[in-house]
Amino acid sequence: MKKDYIKVVERDTPGVVDIIKKTLFVDFIKGMSLTIRYNFTRTISMQYPDKEKWIPYQRFRGAHTLNRDEQGRELCVACELCVKVCPTDCITVVPMEDDTGRGIADRVAKVWRVDLARCFFCGYCEDACPTTAVRLGRDYELACIKLEDSVRNKEQLLKPQQIPENFKGGMVVKARYERNKSGPKVKGNLFEKSDSYWWPIPKKCDDKCDNNGDGNPDKDK
Amino acid sequence: MIDDKKNIRDEFDDEEAVSTKEMTLSFGPQHPSAHGVLHLLLGLQGEKVTWADPDIGYLHRGTEKIAENLLYHQFVPYTDRLDYMSSMSNNLGYVLAVEKVMDLEVPERAQYLRVLCAELSRLAGHLVCIGAWGVDLGAMTVLLYAFREREMIMDLFEMICGARMTLSYMRIGGVRWDANEEFLTKCKELMEYMPERIDEYERLITGNRVWIKRNKNVGIVSANDAIDLGLTGPNLRASGVPWDIRKDEPYLIYDKLDFEVPVGSVGDCFDRYLVRIAEMRQTIRIISQCLEKLPEGPVVVDMPEIVPPPKDEVYNNMEELIHHFKYVSHGFKVSEGEAYHAIEAPKGELGFYIKSNGGEKPERLKIRSPTFVNLQSTHHLAKGEYMADVVAIISSLDPVFGECDK
Repeated sequence: MKKDYIKVVERDTPGVVDIIKKTLFVDFIKGMSLTIRYNFTRTISMQYPDKEKWIPYQRFRGAHTLNRDEQGRELCVACELCVKVCPTDCITVVPMEDDTGRGIADRVAKVWRVDLARCFFCGYCEDACPTTAVRLGRDYELACIKLEDSVRNKEQLLKPQQIPENFKGGMVVKARYERNKSGPKVKGNLFEKSDSYWWPIPKKCDDKCDNNGDGNPDKDK
Repeated sequence: MIDDKKNIRDEFDDEEAVSTKEMTLSFGPQHPSAHGVLHLLLGLQGEKVTWADPDIGYLHRGTEKIAENLLYHQFVPYTDRLDYMSSMSNNLGYVLAVEKVMDLEVPERAQYLRVLCAELSRLAGHLVCIGAWGVDLGAMTVLLYAFREREMIMDLFEMICGARMTLSYMRIGGVRWDANEEFLTKCKELMEYMPERIDEYERLITGNRVWIKRNKNVGIVSANDAIDLGLTGPNLRASGVPWDIRKDEPYLIYDKLDFEVPVGSVGDCFDRYLVRIAEMRQTIRIISQCLEKLPEGPVVVDMPEIVPPPKDEVYNNMEELIHHFKYVSHGFKVSEGEAYHAIEAPKGELGFYIKSNGGEKPERLKIRSPTFVNLQSTHHLAKGEYMADVVAIISSLDPVFGECDK
């Protein structure tokens, strides 16, 4: 055997101990005791969509959004770099001239359309954008019944995001499940954190510990 | 193949006193125990399999042809869709092949991050393999436990690159984002209790008599046959062939890391299972070392024609903005030449062969995907076995059809 390679298995013929163990169902007891022990531990599953919702981390690449600057002007200058860089050709941009102060420059997008069914969510459009106009937000509930609904146009994209961009995510929050004519929606409350989390809580915990990874020490726990 | 089938058929006719009419059974592509869209044609003589013929191509998307029409940096997201259980390895294989054509060396921190992430995705890939294998053979619990740990790895990927499965983290010349403090702490945390979790899977199934009965001495492939069939990765090593590209042809920083490669002895399904479990433990060792040794420094190579300027400068500096426009719209030229680079992906040897004619797009790109090659051993492994064992054999080969059908 070459250096740094190890044999994993020793194929011994079963001895007396093994036969006794087998008759006493030791293998089953070992496995079952493990599963029974888990009955008494913390629940890790998230009650989505009825009670809880996952807020993704800051770098999450979800559905597109178009941003505005502080004065409410459209940041997009219709340079079409996002169209050029897109590996799947899912973005359509048609520029037009508008000097009424709608955008930050005279050139604004007449059409800005993205087909989310084609999109890879690779974030290259975000990287290519020279003005931070297009961002991949943290909206991930993109299922739709009709294929046409997966195409988002400029008006839909210019609406402000549900989760602000500087909000530190990576947590489970309390949410409410709503069903109306436009379809079901899960509305999360960003400021009400939920307890369920699948990462184990570290054993040693002083008052500076941060179990939920939100950057704030959990003093109340 | 046809002669082979006939011979086996004759063999069986001689052996069986009462021989029934041979039946052809389509296993998949909608069978719950077939992985992905595997369509396996099985010739059955009673309960015994006389021949097995995988029918592939249900997920064919023409990835190699797509690559010829895209700029070099645009193809990275397409590689995510090959072996979607461990996208990092595919990203790594592609960028390393392009860098080999360009003769490019990435900074050390980027190398460490690449290895760290590729090994995390190996862990995720093996967890899915063992979990799905368990559920195929009727052990539901191990799937739930394996997916719990996989969820944490998905969380880590979400922290570092913003996606859970289709990562696109690597870029030609480095990685797209630097690791943040949160990622490193959480990763360290996961590595601390991951060995215990692997012990739990072993407690559940390694000694379990049902698991042993279904896997031991099923689908044996000898070392010579394994080499002849072109098996790679854990499937080859389970047959007792000490071959791992990370050790034998080290790329990136694998030669600086201290780890061992587990090798099996018999080459049956149980060996393939044990090799994967042992490999997961070694992966944890690699990741822990990467976290320990992770140097400071840039994560992209300092070559403006390959890596565009940082975004802050693009927003404020005219010259950088022009350069950014040029990079995005034209890409970069890769010097004329050709190269093949193979990496040790979780499923086996993943190789990218790139032929460049000096332009911005590859003239030809060939993907040597491990599943495609591993799957041709199905006939060899399944013939003479029982119909029910085909499920264990397929699971032990760990096929992923994104990369098999390409």
